[in-house]
Amino acid sequence: MILTNVNTVPGKNIVEHFGIVQGSTVRAKHVGRDLMAGLKNLVGGELKGYTELLQESREEAMNRMTEQARQMGANAVVNIRFATSSVAQGAAELFAYGTAVRVE
Amino acid sequence: MEMLLQHLDMVIFLVLLTLGYLAGGRAERLHYQSINSREQELLDMPVVTWDEEFPPEQIRGAALVTGSAVISIDYFKRLMAILRNLFGGRVKAYESLVDRARREAILRMKQSAREQGADMILNMRLETAAIGQSANTKNQIGSVEAIAYGTAIIRRGP
Amino acid sequence: MKFTPKSLEGNVNVAETHPLKDLLWMSGGMVLLLGLLVFALGFGADLVASKAPISVESWLGRQVLQKFPGQESTALETRLQSLLAGLPADSPLHQYAFRVFVAKTDEVNAVALPGGNIVVYSGLLKKVESENELAMVLAHELGHFAHRDHLRALGRGLGLAVATGLLFGGDSEASNLVSNTLLTFQAQYSRSQEAAADQYGLDLLAKRYGHAGGATTFFTRLARQAGDKLPYLFASHPHPQSRIDDLNARIKTRHYAVNGVQPLAGDIRP
Repeated sequence: MILTNVNTVPGKNIVEHFGIVQGSTVRAKHVGRDLMAGLKNLVGGELKGYTELLQESREEAMNRMTEQARQMGANAVVNIRFATSSVAQGAAELFAYGTAVRVE
Repeated sequence: MEMLLQHLDMVIFLVLLTLGYLAGGRAERLHYQSINSREQELLDMPVVTWDEEFPPEQIRGAALVTGSAVISIDYFKRLMAILRNLFGGRVKAYESLVDRARREAILRMKQSAREQGADMILNMRLETAAIGQSANTKNQIGSVEAIAYGTAIIRRGP
Repeated sequence: MKFTPKSLEGNVNVAETHPLKDLLWMSGGMVLLLGLLVFALGFGADLVASKAPISVESWLGRQVLQKFPGQESTALETRLQSLLAGLPADSPLHQYAFRVFVAKTDEVNAVALPGGNIVVYSGLLKKVESENELAMVLAHELGHFAHRDHLRALGRGLGLAVATGLLFGGDSEASNLVSNTLLTFQAQYSRSQEAAADQYGLDLLAKRYGHAGGATTFFTRLARQAGDKLPYLFASHPHPQSRIDDLNARIKTRHYAVNGVQPLAGDIRP
């Protein structure tokens, strides 16, 4: 599966498109991590737990999006966009969407 | 009876929880049914996330189309999210929420494009926001808002 | 570039587990977590309670007392002093400067607060029919002081509030819910503590009057009104009938005599 965030897949021709595919996930860290983040807020620095959380969420969202594309019979997703939102305190929502296409 | 009164807090909580589970579950099922059937109806409306240059003589018109939806959480989902926050992991209760909001927003955008006689939607974008900031805080209205927007184009007939 | 409409099977964006199964797992985990927490707190509070100096306790007592509006009652304090006279000279209770207050509530109860403060509800005073019964109630509260139950309860309550606040955030619905639920279940004192205070009170009563008359009569009247045992499943005090049984058993093993009671003196009833 080829993933790009431009209109095309450079070097290939898009022959067919199938529509929007999207993947999203909402994830939370356990309370110990939240406590540590609260403490980190006093001194500053990277919140490793939350960085990790975001990373996991992004991977999951991309996996789900490519799974949808695979179901449609596509071999590439172009013009992918990422977005985050905070649906709940301590939880991260991440979603990715793009257009499923077949390239040659 | 006396026992019920003594534990009124607990009773109210359980009633709300059951209500949230049954009513919320039913609402979600019905919503998904409606989403699925409308998605089938509007399947032939092409939506892409890229923009494209068309020769001017092919295009009769272009317009911004939008669609949005605000979906509320229920009492049961709120509890599940609070518990999830404790243990970490996937907040399943909210996943269906954002999924519903987003698909509904896309559907409304497509519907509005169809009503204007459009043939295609270009450069679609999605945004999600949580109204009431964090949904599991007390006395906050917990809901998810999704907005979908893009440019609808109407081709000149052959 | 041609467009081929494709519909999707299933929904990859929503996890497939059943919500009730999820709920069961998580609430089970939470109960376990809270159980451990309560256990640890109880242990910690017990440790602190047995070590806390009386001066700290008096300070705490003044703080707590502000929440119990009541009038100091010299009539009750004299009775308490005569009970204290029956204690051995090395009893830790002599370190307290006891004060007794009467709060105007219909509830039939009395509370032992830190720093040697006892609050008796006026509802209880209305139900008491003899000097001996009143002495039993006061002696029971002294039993709580002797076992330092009043500090344990306070420490545990405080610990719980802090812990739930930390876990769920101070303002969330969950922390309210959890602390309410836990407070109902663990009430103020556990029932074993109440039973121990009863025994202590009985011994003190027997020392004061030379017999155990009036030790159970108050509970007998309560038991008649209480009726069904079921609501007492969650209550802070044991069912009156089981308290009477326990007291009678002790009267028998200690060979206390049960003689006639003294009628209530006029300075108690308002």
